[in-house]
Amino acid sequence: MANKEATIYIVDVGRNTGDTHSGRDESDLEWSLRWVWDKITTTVGTGRKTAMVGVLGLRTAATDHFLSDEGGYEHISIFHPISVLMPDVRKLREKFEPSSTNAGDAISAIILATQMITDHCKKLKYTKKIFLVTNGRGHMDADAGDIAGLAKKIQDEDIELTVLGVDFDDVEYGFKEEDKSDTKASNETILRSLTEQCNGQFGTLEEAISALGAPRVKTTRPVHSYKGPLTLGDPENYDTAMSIDVERYPRIAVAKPPSASQFVVRSGATQDSVQSSETLQEGGASDQRPDGDLAAVKNARNYQVPDEDAPGGKKDVPEDELAKGYEYGRTAVHINESERNVTELDVEPCLDIIGFVPRTNVQRYFSMSKTCMIIAQKANDKASLALSSLIHALHELDTYAIARFVNARKSKPVILLLAPEIEIEYECLIDVELPFSEDIRQYRFPPLDRVLTVSGKTITEHRNLPSKDLMQAMSDYVDAMDLSTAGKDDDGDVCEYATMDQTFSPVLHNVNQNIQWRAARGDQSLAPVLEILTRYSRPPDDLVTSATTEINTLVKRSDVKPVPPKLKGRKRNRETEKPLSGLNVEELLGREKRTKISAENAIPEFKQYIENSEDFSAIKNAADQMFNHVSSYIQHSIGDSKYGMATEVLYVVKQSMIDYEEPEIYNEHLAALKRKVLDGSLGGNRTDMWVRIRHNRLGPITKEQSKHSKYSEEEAKRFMRVSPK
Amino acid sequence: MSEGESWRRNADEAQEEEEEVDESGYKTVKDAVLFAIDVSKTMLQKPTPTDGKKADRDSPTSAALKCAYQLMQQRIISNPNDMMGILLFGTEKSKLHGGEDGSGTGMSYPNCYLVSDLDVPSAEDVKRLRNLVEDDFESSKLLRPTTDAVSMANVLFCANQIFTTKAPNFSSRRLFLVSDNDDPHENDKDSKSAAAVRAKDLYDLGVVIELFPIAKPGHGFDRSRFYDDIVYRSSTGEPDAPAPVSTAAKVSSSGDGISLLQSLLSSVNSKAAPRRAAFSLPLEIAPGLKIGVKGYILVKRQEPVRTCYVWVGGEKPQLAISSTTQLAEDTAKTVEKSEVRKAYKFGGETISFTPEEITQIRSFGDPTLRIIGFKPASLLPVWANTRPAYFIYPSETDFIGSTRVFSALQQKLLQDDKIGLAWFIPRRNATPTLAALVPGEEKLGDDGDQVIPPGLWIVQLPFADDIRQKPEIILTRTTDTLTDMMRIVIQQLQLPKAVYDPIKYPNPSLQWFYRILQAIALDEDVPDKAEDKTIPKYRQIDKRAGSYVVTWGNELEQTAQKLSSLRPPVKGIKRGSEDPDSAPTKRLKAVKTDSGSMTDNDMKKRYAEKSISKLTVPILKEWASSKHIPIDGKKADLIERIEEYFENK
Repeated sequence: MANKEATIYIVDVGRNTGDTHSGRDESDLEWSLRWVWDKITTTVGTGRKTAMVGVLGLRTAATDHFLSDEGGYEHISIFHPISVLMPDVRKLREKFEPSSTNAGDAISAIILATQMITDHCKKLKYTKKIFLVTNGRGHMDADAGDIAGLAKKIQDEDIELTVLGVDFDDVEYGFKEEDKSDTKASNETILRSLTEQCNGQFGTLEEAISALGAPRVKTTRPVHSYKGPLTLGDPENYDTAMSIDVERYPRIAVAKPPSASQFVVRSGATQDSVQSSETLQEGGASDQRPDGDLAAVKNARNYQVPDEDAPGGKKDVPEDELAKGYEYGRTAVHINESERNVTELDVEPCLDIIGFVPRTNVQRYFSMSKTCMIIAQKANDKASLALSSLIHALHELDTYAIARFVNARKSKPVILLLAPEIEIEYECLIDVELPFSEDIRQYRFPPLDRVLTVSGKTITEHRNLPSKDLMQAMSDYVDAMDLSTAGKDDDGDVCEYATMDQTFSPVLHNVNQNIQWRAARGDQSLAPVLEILTRYSRPPDDLVTSATTEINTLVKRSDVKPVPPKLKGRKRNRETEKPLSGLNVEELLGREKRTKISAENAIPEFKQYIENSEDFSAIKNAADQMFNHVSSYIQHSIGDSKYGMATEVLYVVKQSMIDYEEPEIYNEHLAALKRKVLDGSLGGNRTDMWVRIRHNRLGPITKEQSKHSKYSEEEAKRFMRVSPK
Repeated sequence: MSEGESWRRNADEAQEEEEEVDESGYKTVKDAVLFAIDVSKTMLQKPTPTDGKKADRDSPTSAALKCAYQLMQQRIISNPNDMMGILLFGTEKSKLHGGEDGSGTGMSYPNCYLVSDLDVPSAEDVKRLRNLVEDDFESSKLLRPTTDAVSMANVLFCANQIFTTKAPNFSSRRLFLVSDNDDPHENDKDSKSAAAVRAKDLYDLGVVIELFPIAKPGHGFDRSRFYDDIVYRSSTGEPDAPAPVSTAAKVSSSGDGISLLQSLLSSVNSKAAPRRAAFSLPLEIAPGLKIGVKGYILVKRQEPVRTCYVWVGGEKPQLAISSTTQLAEDTAKTVEKSEVRKAYKFGGETISFTPEEITQIRSFGDPTLRIIGFKPASLLPVWANTRPAYFIYPSETDFIGSTRVFSALQQKLLQDDKIGLAWFIPRRNATPTLAALVPGEEKLGDDGDQVIPPGLWIVQLPFADDIRQKPEIILTRTTDTLTDMMRIVIQQLQLPKAVYDPIKYPNPSLQWFYRILQAIALDEDVPDKAEDKTIPKYRQIDKRAGSYVVTWGNELEQTAQKLSSLRPPVKGIKRGSEDPDSAPTKRLKAVKTDSGSMTDNDMKKRYAEKSISKLTVPILKEWASSKHIPIDGKKADLIERIEEYFENK
């Protein structure tokens, strides 16, 4: 469990923090706030109830704190008292503005902060921190004695003091400000001396800000997921069985970004205030409501069963007439509450070795889960010794174990692969789940190193097989792009590039970054994406540069040609498909040229009809007939029984009209169909059919899909609405 | 018509998807299979009985029916939303929807008998099919061949109508045709042409015909005589693709060896699941070099169906379909999807974003698989795994030449035991990950059929954020003697053929679940014992390695004692703060289970004597934790839970 924390940020908002220095665009305050906001929002973002934060303003116009009666503490304000949550981060935003004064003493502020922490924490166990962020351009009044006394107090209270200064000199980091004013130089000296005396830290702000680019990884305390014996053989019935007490911990657990909740605008809140996409706390009413103008969205469920007599073929059923059950095919199987667990397999927890396999026979693609690790029971030397002998024996034999694992009583057994891992002073078994027979799908694919023809011959030279030249070019390229030596470590030595501990989840960090960004700013902007999040989205530049020759050769020998987009959807040649024998079925058909499309066999006849006719009137005629069938299907549909056939026909006609670049034939028919579907002339209320057409994306052909269309994307969308607003 | 158009069935789902790459879209792509089984004199002929243990006892028709029966049960588990139907042709009787013979529709398709209509199978369908397979009386009534000439054109059009009406917009529709007659219209050119025309209709409708030919003894099966006019290339998406691994004609022999049923089952199984791509995207091998690949899910945990609500207010239980409406909490008014906004709790505030902003924040570019370089395979540790791997295979749809370049890459990586490292976004707005591209070799089974296809596998790697902190340990390292003894144990217990073959291990809990469900659905007796092939073979382990384990155990005992005499028992053990329940008493627990602490029998005795309460809390806790009974709370709670444990036993 992490310790309780109390942290105070002292933020210098003196008038001259509004000035810019050292060629930056931002003012000193804006620059400081980048760091301050990052710290505060990160703490708030963890949602930890044990992390408390207070904020002091230094060089404020007013004086607002509990020592205000005493002299020497003027122009310091408590922006936020030490507390768990920050319900009003937003209010801080308003306070973080350069004030109208330059008066106010940083040392006094530190004394005040120390007092605040002491009052808050009393003698309880806390991790106590004070951060002072200042540009050092204010007046400070302190003699050596004061400093020593304060340092002692800070040390006695076990507080960690960190001073971060805008353009402070820092030899270690390598920063020195030229033409530093005397006041600032003297202030730096005083603050440095203070931090040295109380074992605090003193640094230049640039260093702190440059560290913000690295995402923080949240650590989770390891919690075991299994505790029990690892067995080989059956200890209950055989005295020759092995049993080692072990514990299992997660090794990989995919970190997910925080989940968002759904809200709607509260009724009464004006739509305009929301469309401006503010954080929604800006409105006046928001002061009373933590969620501002938002109301939570609740889910309401209702249940229906098919009923031929009911309108629409379905009727509502009350919840108390429902029981839990399962589907067996399309049969509903209902199981009594008392028998609920009959479907559970009666198994006891175990981690039971089935046998061993050589590592080289283990296929990586069978690993199907996140991984865990198995260590000996804590504080059990004998178990540790026993497990260690297993780990080492596996390692020496280059062998993995296969085990049956049941996590808890009546839970599902899984098969685990157990692999030894040995490091300096650390040993464990890594485990990962393997598939059962039901988990494997057997799709067959042609071989990649030879071609089998329909007639059964094997060919080794074919346009789908790489030539020797291409193989060589690929080989050279792969070797040239080796990442195992493409990285540089902190000392500048060669090392592996893109190791897993250097890579960070882009979505996770970008979501967090944006929540914090918006919380701190309250505007509509989005945070810039950290460079590190996309660094590994492309090959490293220097590697690409050094491999230019190999890349060019590979591209040339590969001779890959993109398929022109227009041809993709269509058959590449207008020759009709033939069966394996090559028989020309068209000829058999051709004798009696189709002009009429039957309702029963509409789709094949439509395709065959238009394949053999090129002129507009024939295509139009075919489409006319198809739409007649669609209307008739809908009209004669009992409930939704023929909707499927209707949508399928629509789909086929739409695709053909796109192919033949006759979008308006489809669009005009669709408009007529819409009228009929919605005005009740096709056998009653058929609105649900229209919903289905929309759901299946069978709306008008748009300009994007076919250039002669009259519909833009937006118009098509509007057209599909049941009642255009 | 196949993979290419799946977009339209799940385009909506794909748009809404934002949380992570799941297979929801993939699941909605449905499949309908219609079995058409030939019933003729030769199809009904049983093999001459022999004494051979594996001798065939099934006629081709009954083998085909058994096959269909097994597939139906299997599909209920693996593809609960997919349809299946069974049509017999060449029968004396005729039936389509509804009435038998003379009445109505039956007459238009003479000699076609629909055993179960194309639909998601119901318990009744399973039962009817089982009766047909197991009950000779039942089957003899139905399985009577007609003396009339059977028109294949008619059979194919019958199938056409079944697909048109029952599965109009399934993205995958397949006709499984089982017959031993390679030339049904030997001397009738017109019927033959008519059949070819009807086959073209099916092709245009988007139905794929899968032929399962059965070779008559001494005759063989010559596809060129009739069926090559009926069957179209199966990979419709890619007209230029080389022929896939084709199934050989089955030899119907009365002798030993693989039975007809077995071989039919294996070829039907290989077609059981239609090949569906999970995604299709450019593979950027090098800057300026893109090829097309498709991703498939070949490994995925098959879970039992989720619970649903069943309406029990009527005559028979019916599945209740739930629909969700979203309401605003304050006014209880229905909320349109477009009105919903996403907001995060932050501190005490709610930070909200528009849906467009959320998309922008989560989006890192178009779907792609972009190789950023290569590493030796040894740099991919076992623990770096997050989920099942995707399989990718080249596709010529977008880039001509993809296959040869992909092949060159796969072969190079295999040769040098290397992996690619790639930036991977499988779908629009899907979470990007870094992935290892692991080459996979083609693997063939004993019968020469492909078991694992050749290609590349995408192993999605963890980020630094996903790697958990290791628990602290105090390591007591093994001795050379002890390790050597364990080596001997391991060497005795290699799995057959030194591999883990998933096919040999059905999922025990999944099988049990469906056994029970089937029993309840069909109103049968519930079996009392489950078959569980994952339980290790204890007798063999004892026989082969028992004595070596004992030797190892004795050595372990001695080494452990030596160790504990070298250092005082408490030293080096972290107490208290780290792990409250690892009190020193725990150390005494022997590695073997026959330890000095509370045994199950002792506890049982105490339970009988009602003297559990006399035991101390640490002992109770230790025993309870060994039984996975929660150990928190007061002593009284603990005792209660232990007593409950025995009560339920």
